[in-house]
Amino acid sequence: MNKDFIISWKAAGISLGLLLIIATALVKPLGVSSQFVVTDGIVAHQVAPQFAESNTYLSKYGEENNWGVGYGWMLVFGMVVGGGVTSILLRRRQPQADKGSMPELWKNTFGPSQTKRYLASFFGGVLLLFGARLAGGCTSGHMISGISQLALSSFIFGVITFGSAILMAKFLYRGRV
Amino acid sequence: MATLIIGFLIGCAFGAILYMGGATSYRRILGTLLLKDMWIIKLMMTAIGVGSLGIYLLDMGGLANMSVKPAYLWGIAAGGAIFGIGWAVAGYCPGTCVVGSAEGKKDAIFTLLGALAGAFLFSLAFPFLESTLIQPANFGAVTLESLLGINGIYIALPFSIALLFLAFFVLKDRYD
Repeated sequence: MNKDFIISWKAAGISLGLLLIIATALVKPLGVSSQFVVTDGIVAHQVAPQFAESNTYLSKYGEENNWGVGYGWMLVFGMVVGGGVTSILLRRRQPQADKGSMPELWKNTFGPSQTKRYLASFFGGVLLLFGARLAGGCTSGHMISGISQLALSSFIFGVITFGSAILMAKFLYRGRV
Repeated sequence: MATLIIGFLIGCAFGAILYMGGATSYRRILGTLLLKDMWIIKLMMTAIGVGSLGIYLLDMGGLANMSVKPAYLWGIAAGGAIFGIGWAVAGYCPGTCVVGSAEGKKDAIFTLLGALAGAFLFSLAFPFLESTLIQPANFGAVTLESLLGINGIYIALPFSIALLFLAFFVLKDRYD
């Protein structure tokens, strides 16, 4: 039988929880979004060092010694490698509906224009990181790691983020699904 | 150096789990946000259920390296609302756009580029946002443990059981 998934949400959820415990025991919990600022900082220090130094946020990263590349940045770099390698090995088992850059649901509603999909993806990305840095974390740092630590900030983030995402999804697909 | 290698290995496992668990699937993410298919929320509830219990068990032995983010109400509320809109529009979050890009999904790569631009915009707006949304109403790194004044394990245990029960027995799933 051809399954609709590679591993179930149960298997993924349990292994992600165990990974979080290992990370918290060895170094610190999982987090992704701050590494986008680190990457920007590294680039800014190369391209426009004076500007980078004058910016309170970017000046914290990208300096000569280690460029801000620490545990967190290596973790995100590992995600590229781990995700890339498993996707090459397991592509055959990935459900057809999850492959490619044009999701069926999007195509059926907003048409086959790739430009439209990529523009939405780009501006979605802008909002994601602007919001994540303002809130101090994202799905991994706040929701998975933060709620697991019973952090008040993360419960607030989780409720508001899911609320806003559900409203926006319902608005995008209103009367269409 | 050891920390960097540990980070890399944990990241590899994290990326592999997100890919295999379907977390980089637009169908799964929008399915959850449209409340049609609870895949992603059940995955997250399971991870938090297992993680929370494990972290507070570690904490009892003094072995948990906690990293609790400060609760500044306005910034978190505004940031969460903006983040949620971006999540629904892109269909990716910061972590899954990284893994989706590694899979070669072009829309994920555009989200990744947008995210780098969004982080840059934030760094420009930071001085203004810090004084208006981040500094006021900041209650510091508060947890339910410190807030309620009881040992975290007594909160984490029932919380974990409730989350796992919800995920495994209450939420229905048409893809299951």
